[in-house]
Amino acid sequence: MAEPKLRVLMVSDFFFPNFGGVENHIYYLSQCLLNLGHKVVVMTHAYGNRSGVRYMTGGLKVYYVPWRPFTMQNTFPTVYGTLPIVRTILKRERITVVHGHQAFSTLCHEALMHARTMGYRVVFTDHSLYGFADVGSIHMNKVLQFTLADIDQAICVSHTSKENTVLRSGLAPGKVFMIPNAVDTAMFKPADVRPSSDDVITIVVISRLVYRKGADLLVEVIPEVCRLYPNVRFVVGGDGPKHVRLEEMREKHSLQDRVEMLGAVPHSRVRSVLVTGHIFLNSSLTEAFCIAILEAASCGLLTVSTRVGGVLPDDMVVLAEPDPDDMVRAIEKAISILPSINPEEMHNRMKKLYSWQDVAKRTEIVYDRALKCSNRNLLERLSRFLSCGAWAGKVFCMVMIIDYLLWRLLQLLQPDDDIEEAPDINFCN
Amino acid sequence: MDNNLAGDSPPPPPPPPPPPRPKWRKVAYGGMQIGYDDNYTDETFLEEMVMNANVVRRDLLKVMKDSISISQYLCIVALVVLVWFHTLQSSLDETSLLLLDLSLLALGFLVLLLTEEKMLSLRLLLRYVTNITFFTTGLYVLAPVYQTLTRSISSDSIWAVTVSLLLLHLFLHDYSGSTIRAPGALKSPSLTSCISVNASVVASVFVASRLPSRGHVFAVMLFSLQVFLFAPLVAYCIKKFSFGLHLGFSFALMGLTMYSVYALHRLFFVLFLVLVVVVNVVCPYWLIRMQEYKFEINGPWDEAKLCFDITD
Repeated sequence: MAEPKLRVLMVSDFFFPNFGGVENHIYYLSQCLLNLGHKVVVMTHAYGNRSGVRYMTGGLKVYYVPWRPFTMQNTFPTVYGTLPIVRTILKRERITVVHGHQAFSTLCHEALMHARTMGYRVVFTDHSLYGFADVGSIHMNKVLQFTLADIDQAICVSHTSKENTVLRSGLAPGKVFMIPNAVDTAMFKPADVRPSSDDVITIVVISRLVYRKGADLLVEVIPEVCRLYPNVRFVVGGDGPKHVRLEEMREKHSLQDRVEMLGAVPHSRVRSVLVTGHIFLNSSLTEAFCIAILEAASCGLLTVSTRVGGVLPDDMVVLAEPDPDDMVRAIEKAISILPSINPEEMHNRMKKLYSWQDVAKRTEIVYDRALKCSNRNLLERLSRFLSCGAWAGKVFCMVMIIDYLLWRLLQLLQPDDDIEEAPDINFCN
Repeated sequence: MDNNLAGDSPPPPPPPPPPPRPKWRKVAYGGMQIGYDDNYTDETFLEEMVMNANVVRRDLLKVMKDSISISQYLCIVALVVLVWFHTLQSSLDETSLLLLDLSLLALGFLVLLLTEEKMLSLRLLLRYVTNITFFTTGLYVLAPVYQTLTRSISSDSIWAVTVSLLLLHLFLHDYSGSTIRAPGALKSPSLTSCISVNASVVASVFVASRLPSRGHVFAVMLFSLQVFLFAPLVAYCIKKFSFGLHLGFSFALMGLTMYSVYALHRLFFVLFLVLVVVVNVVCPYWLIRMQEYKFEINGPWDEAKLCFDITD
């Protein structure tokens, strides 16, 4: 079998069987890279009984490292505890590039640090936006500064995310690549028979019902729109703490027959909920990259959204400020341009605008650039850490020096030649 | 083979110039933009960032004038501690203490009457008088309880606890206003200011329980509670009425305290002087110096603020 061109290790705490933006991103990107002929291995922590090595579609090998998560799906941070297992995986699979995902994942930070110590190329992708003012964000940004001080290339999922990451970590903008997420257009197809928009217009909302996703805006907007347009009905999917407020709103305005609450919608059923609607409403207060909008556009729905400029062309989305009056105005405009929307045409356009194959090709370019970066030795790299701060710089240098010494010790105890290399198994048919 | 023998052949036209690459757009759709790498950064990068939008610019003189309220309260607490000390050493007897209490009460009332902007109706005045009578009677009745409260506890523990409670009281005190307000005040007191009032009350109870006779206990308790509960209100009314009066009152208090502490012990006088200088001069200067490092960043990545209140 032909030697794979690149051998990539994806590291994150967030992977299947969890469902979410980061998990989907890693899975789809890995599948497309496998199709391009590279070798991809994923490393994550054990989920319940799912521990050890598993194989997924296309020969994607996943290492579920037996470390228990301790808070919000994150592994307990032991700084040096993951060094032996990371070294073993890197040597066994003969990895050339390590790709970490999500700043909030402790496993990612630790693995990137160890990979750097052992001389591998590292790439990091950031999926979220963070603030600067509260205690949690300040600490997270410091940790991110440490990881990104010595990185080869970084990837962000939107332009806002790129600006945010550059400010938080002090990285040079030229090192950060903007590669957006994409949507699986084969799965999100419009309905064969479009529901008629003459008598009833259906507006679909699918999101977690939390403050951050603007559930309070929904509570203000839905009664107003129902009052102005007697032929509009709402379908609300998703669950969360603000569920109670939405139920109260339904009771207060007697909208039980016009607002349908579906509860939590599993990912496999999202498409079937979307195709019953004409308009998709997104009211989130902050969003690094909203994949829900792409899924809706791929199913042929017109989108009304806050705060996600630059994701869809202007004729596929109506933007609004996170203010109830402005959102009602945007919904009115959307209802007025609804007759001119053709779902099939929108779906075909989405196929050209976003595809995971394109994301994989662009990521491949980033990997090639990372491989071309010069590999500095320990002393040259330590100078990069000293610029992180008056006290923090010295602490980071100490951490890296100890990591280096531990690595040399491990090389003495278990030499590199003793680690058996795994054979490449060809799954293509 | 086909030679052009008709004449000079015209030179081949120059190749057309390559088409200029399209303008870079700050969008996420459409894949890689032709002619640009994914890490292309143009001058619109970070153009929506806003720095230090909500920062208050402070002036040294104003901060020093504001810090006078803090040193005024420190003097008040120091005077209370002095009275306690003298009572414990039996330099002050019951009758003089009771006289002190009554005069302070009358003075406080007078200040409130004079500085209150709204007309104090007779009904409100009657309410105040009834409250004070209840308060004093209650204290008088409970005085024997306080006297025997800490009989089984050693003196060292009492002094240690009193000092720590007083320090807690000073740290958590609400220096900008008053925890006890006139009825109809807008803001309700915060948790820390309630804790500080309670700490001061408990400290006064501990000190009062060390006194020999019931009369002493009653007088000292009345004095301490009067000062701790009502002095912030009186000081706040004076400050609201006229800033000059507030300054004069503060300086008078400081002078009185310095003189009394000096008469007591030289070392305490020096420490107190240093404390007042630090609070009034060093801390404002330090605050102004630190302001230069303030760096607040806002931009499109911030969570949007809802413009309406969420009523649950």
